[in-house]
Amino acid sequence: MLIEAELKEKKISKDYGLFTFKLYGDLENPEAGQFVMLKASDEPVLAKPFSIYSYKNRELTLFIKRVGRLTGKIFSSPIGEMFYIRGPHGNPYVDLIDGEKQYILVGGGSGIAPLNFFSELHPTMVYEKFYGFKGSYIRELFTEKEQRNLIIEEESGKTVIDVLKDIYSEEIGILACGPVPMLKNLPATSYVSLEAMMGCGIGTCKSCAVKTKKGVKLVCKNGPLFRKEEIIWEWI
Amino acid sequence: MGVDLSVDVFGIKFRNPIILASGPVGFGFELMPYLDFSNVGAITLKTVTLKPREGNPPPRLVDSHGGVINSIGLQNPGIEGFVEEIAPRLKELKTIKIGSIAGFSMDEWEILGEEMDKIKEIKIIELNLSCPNVKGKRRWAEDAELTQKVVKIARKLTNKPIIAKLAPDVTDIVEIAKAAVDAGADGLAIGNGIQAMRIDVETGLPVLKLKTGGLGGPAIKPITLAKVFKTREALDVPIIGIGGIMNWQDAIEHAMAGASLLGLGTAVMVDPEAPVRIIEGIKAFLDRKKIESFNKIIGVAHKGGLNVH
Ligand SMILES: Cc1cc2nc3c(=O)[nH]c(=O)nc-3n(C[C@H](O)[C@H](O)[C@H](O)COP(=O)(O)OP(=O)(O)OC[C@H]3O[C@@H](n4cnc5c(N)ncnc54)[C@H](O)[C@@H]3O)c2cc1C
Ligand SMILES: Cc1cc2nc3c(=O)[nH]c(=O)nc-3n(C[C@H](O)[C@H](O)[C@H](O)COP(=O)(O)O)c2cc1C
Ligand code: FES
Repeated sequence: MLIEAELKEKKISKDYGLFTFKLYGDLENPEAGQFVMLKASDEPVLAKPFSIYSYKNRELTLFIKRVGRLTGKIFSSPIGEMFYIRGPHGNPYVDLIDGEKQYILVGGGSGIAPLNFFSELHPTMVYEKFYGFKGSYIRELFTEKEQRNLIIEEESGKTVIDVLKDIYSEEIGILACGPVPMLKNLPATSYVSLEAMMGCGIGTCKSCAVKTKKGVKLVCKNGPLFRKEEIIWEWI
Repeated sequence: MGVDLSVDVFGIKFRNPIILASGPVGFGFELMPYLDFSNVGAITLKTVTLKPREGNPPPRLVDSHGGVINSIGLQNPGIEGFVEEIAPRLKELKTIKIGSIAGFSMDEWEILGEEMDKIKEIKIIELNLSCPNVKGKRRWAEDAELTQKVVKIARKLTNKPIIAKLAPDVTDIVEIAKAAVDAGADGLAIGNGIQAMRIDVETGLPVLKLKTGGLGGPAIKPITLAKVFKTREALDVPIIGIGGIMNWQDAIEHAMAGASLLGLGTAVMVDPEAPVRIIEGIKAFLDRKKIESFNKIIGVAHKGGLNVH
């Protein structure tokens, strides 16, 4: 079911922004790692996937990077603009990971969105959070407390991969979402949340294929989380 | 007033003209939580090939103004996988099932036709002669002679109604349509996605890994509509209009151009409930126009428009 989503609040810093939508319907028990398909009222025709950053009382917050037509439209929309969403789609991270472990959340860019929701819902499973960005301008979007998790390359010369190396040990799991080059640099046992071009978001259209050691899987239906070592990266 | 939406074609009664086109809905099962299949006229299942296919490397989809270009590459479990795993579950889909097949050689068409014919739940067989997404393969439906050959093979193998799914982007669709009908096709699906591409200006490279794909969505509606119209003008055979049907107006246009059944591709992919919305819209339109049956509007653009009724 398409739910009307009214843009209620936006906070933008250059190409990143936090957008809160008032929903005229319920998202049923959304979990971290799940995403919504969001659509503008006219163009683009396609609905596109965005991870849930936060959800409370019919208020959905997304953390979005401006990259193209739909994200551009969201950035330039006035408060009150109507969009349409459906979901939640995809599997909750907690259904795909080892529930006994604690995790370091490793995010890059818009990839921090699902990790934020994870840390809201499952704080006891979080060992540490590293949210990587290139420029200091990103600070504006976060509270002082949240800023402690930021690894800003422009400031420290370090990436999330660098800081991860300092504290990583086998007993702690890694839960990561971000650009492919970042994911590729993680330990083999990490869980990585993948992105793919999506059509339906529910497993019917076969757009979001990813090749794994167990054959071609779908990011929307089988993921978005996969074991890093299972992915055939050359295919991406 | 109750309007009659049912359509009788191929000796089969469809409860309404809205059907799901092959591909975007897969084999339908994942759609069940979102769409009550007893609301749609039929589902055309994802095209099945002889051997299992993992499909094309990603990206497999990119949007462009007014549409979506896909390059899935016929990912499917192959006919054996289909017969063993999918066919036994088809009963769960509470509507008419149209099986879709695509062969890469005449021998393959023959095996596929035979296997589909055996599956009880499949009431109609669609020959996908027009997939724009298979590497290095020309589309059968670009050539009247090849089209005729394939349909002839299928005709020998089955008594089930046969639909030839054609490519809208050919020089003369009427010639190809005639070839299909002469060879025994009971109906035509017009049509598949239109060959299209996008290039990333930053890298100078095609966006889709296989460079080109098939465009569907609102952008192709006027093009497919003209092909439906031209074909209807030349031939008296049931047509499934597929191409850019996103709302009830698009659906009615296709019907007026001559389509008896209306296939949704991109629309259901974007919104699984689109069929319901479109059916309601058609009903309301007929109601407003005081037309008691959907059948009355099929092809009216050829017969002086609505006033004659
Ligand atoms: C499960 C999932 C969760 C996601 N969560 C978020 C999120 O929380 N925040 C966020 O900002 N983005 C997220 N994305 C990516 C987001 O879907 C794309 O950025 C968006 O679709 C771009 O739309 P557009 O119309 O602005 O871009 P377009 O005009 O379509 O394309 C612009 C550029 O974006 C790239 N792109 C387009 N679609 C995708 C896609 N589906 N995945 C990756 N890259 C794409 C294209 O290659 C192109 O270079 C997620 C993707 C997936 C699959
Ligand atoms: C993701 C996707 C997959 C498709 N797969 C198939 C297929 O397997 N067989 C087929 O005959 N057509 C396939 N098509 C084409 C559609 O059935 C339809 O003909 C085309 O998209 C035009 O209709 P539309 O404008 O409503 O999308 C596919 C289309 C899409 C978008
Ligand atoms: S987006 Fe359609 S199958 Fe994943």
